Amino acid sequence: MEQIIKVKSLAKFFGNYPALEDVHFEVNKGETFGFLGPSGSGKTTTIKILTGQLLATSGDAFVFNQPTASLNKAKYRRKFGVLTDNSGLYDRLTIYDNLKLFCDLYDVPAKRINNVLEMVNLENEQKKMVSKLSKGMKQRAQLARAFLHEPELLFLDEPTSALDPANSKHIYDGLRELTKGGTTIFLTTHDMHEAETLCDRVAFLHKGKIQLLDEPKKLRRQFSDSSLQVLLKDGRELLLPGGPNGAKALYEHMQADKVVSIHSNEPTLGDIFVGITGRELV
Amino acid sequence: MTFSMKRVLAIFNKDLKDLSKNMFVSTSILMPLVLAAIYGRMAEDLSIESYYLVINLAFTMTATFIQCAIIAEEKEKNTLRGLMLSPATIPEIFSGKSLVAFLLSIVTIVVSSIFMEYYPENVALVAVAIVVSTLFYIALGTLLGLLARSVVEASVIIMPVVFLLGFGSFIETLMDKYPILHFAEYLPNLQLIEFATKVQAGSGLTDVWSHLSVITAWFLIVSFLTIVIFKKKEIDA
Ligand SMILES: Nc1ncnc2c1ncn2[C@@H]1O[C@H](COP(=O)(O)OP(=O)(O)OP(=O)(O)O)[C@@H](O)[C@H]1O
Ligand SMILES: [Mg+2]
Repeated sequence: MEQIIKVKSLAKFFGNYPALEDVHFEVNKGETFGFLGPSGSGKTTTIKILTGQLLATSGDAFVFNQPTASLNKAKYRRKFGVLTDNSGLYDRLTIYDNLKLFCDLYDVPAKRINNVLEMVNLENEQKKMVSKLSKGMKQRAQLARAFLHEPELLFLDEPTSALDPANSKHIYDGLRELTKGGTTIFLTTHDMHEAETLCDRVAFLHKGKIQLLDEPKKLRRQFSDSSLQVLLKDGRELLLPGGPNGAKALYEHMQADKVVSIHSNEPTLGDIFVGITGRELV
Repeated sequence: MTFSMKRVLAIFNKDLKDLSKNMFVSTSILMPLVLAAIYGRMAEDLSIESYYLVINLAFTMTATFIQCAIIAEEKEKNTLRGLMLSPATIPEIFSGKSLVAFLLSIVTIVVSSIFMEYYPENVALVAVAIVVSTLFYIALGTLLGLLARSVVEASVIIMPVVFLLGFGSFIETLMDKYPILHFAEYLPNLQLIEFATKVQAGSGLTDVWSHLSVITAWFLIVSFLTIVIFKKKEIDA
């Protein structure tokens, strides 16, 4: 499988402060890779290094098989799109004029503007000045700009942090369309539901290192203690352990016809995360 | 490396639209124009010093300040990064971003000159000096814009520039008093006045090329510094 991002022993110090200590991972072409971690764990820092905005202190980072420091050539810049907290828009221009500028910079026909605005549900606001937009609308406009030029690789730093559920869902559909077309997505998020919905694999970044990296499904299985949640007719809720003891108890309740429902007690990504980091995602 | 005029013009168009809605910055061209109009009505025959008081003011207020403010704002609003991450090259970005200030300066100076009825003896020669000076003042604006963190800071940083380069005759008075300040005669604004005075008295290129070279040297030095500062800021350490 072709790897579009390769990171080896990556470290980044701000002064003496280690934002990243020893980070290793690879992102396969076409996958949606979730980069999760508590606030301040270095997610944005990693994106800045990968897009050539920030120098690493040590280690290797390759994107499109290029060291990230040499990504400043036009031919590579066309191949990736970025949304981070420093992807500003021009306040005094309309959404359309903002996107038109980037159409010209990336040699993209202006008719593409309508497509991307549809994807972010802003097609009716394109004549609005950016300074008049709500936070969520601004975020969607930035998102539209990030994939305006149909990049092969898309870096999205908390793309839905300001969005309502309906708009988030609309964006998820759009992002899935992009992945179908072969786009690779590097996504950071604090929203575990988003990570489970979108990501083929997720990495947990904590204390400067990747603590876990796998498919969400496999992680849930790995951290499942195979216990069962059982609701009884008398209203009691039981948590039965896996193994013979649980099985015996379950058998007895079922025999007595007291069971309303049985649920597996699989952990969510959020549970796993809290288990590893010992803290909630903020 | 290719140089795409399309990208330069895209950035220029964007800045022009943006500036037309940015009263704080765009009204800075008014000061030299108003001054020129007043001078034009007040006196019949103005001295070269008066013409160039207005012209040097136009340079600092239009070329340097507008350039400085729009670069600082791109940094403040996090939009410069978007340009830098696009396929636009550094020369394309800076050409596009300088074009608005360049055209506005030239227009301001031409209109001011008409208001003041300043008709140089050798228009072509003076035009060359004006263009070279404009390039210097824009490079200076770019440099200061890279150093300023916000538009507000930009409008503070510009003060000493307006003082030193905009009101040149004031320095000349000081120079007469304190000989130690004589190096100031190499300032680009005073060089331009010297140049224009000689041209008005009928001198040709052979007599004034030294002044032109000094202004060009200023442009080159400031451009070099700008590139150094930009390279330092392009990738955060
Ligand atoms: N330019 C900088 N100078 C000094 N420290 C920095 C700089 N940028 C980031 N840091 C520090 O590096 C650490 C990681 O920051 P980063 O922005 O990458 O976190 P994050 O995972 O994106 O957090 P969040 O989820 O809140 O966005 C933080 O402790 C932050 O204070
Ligand atoms: Mg972040």
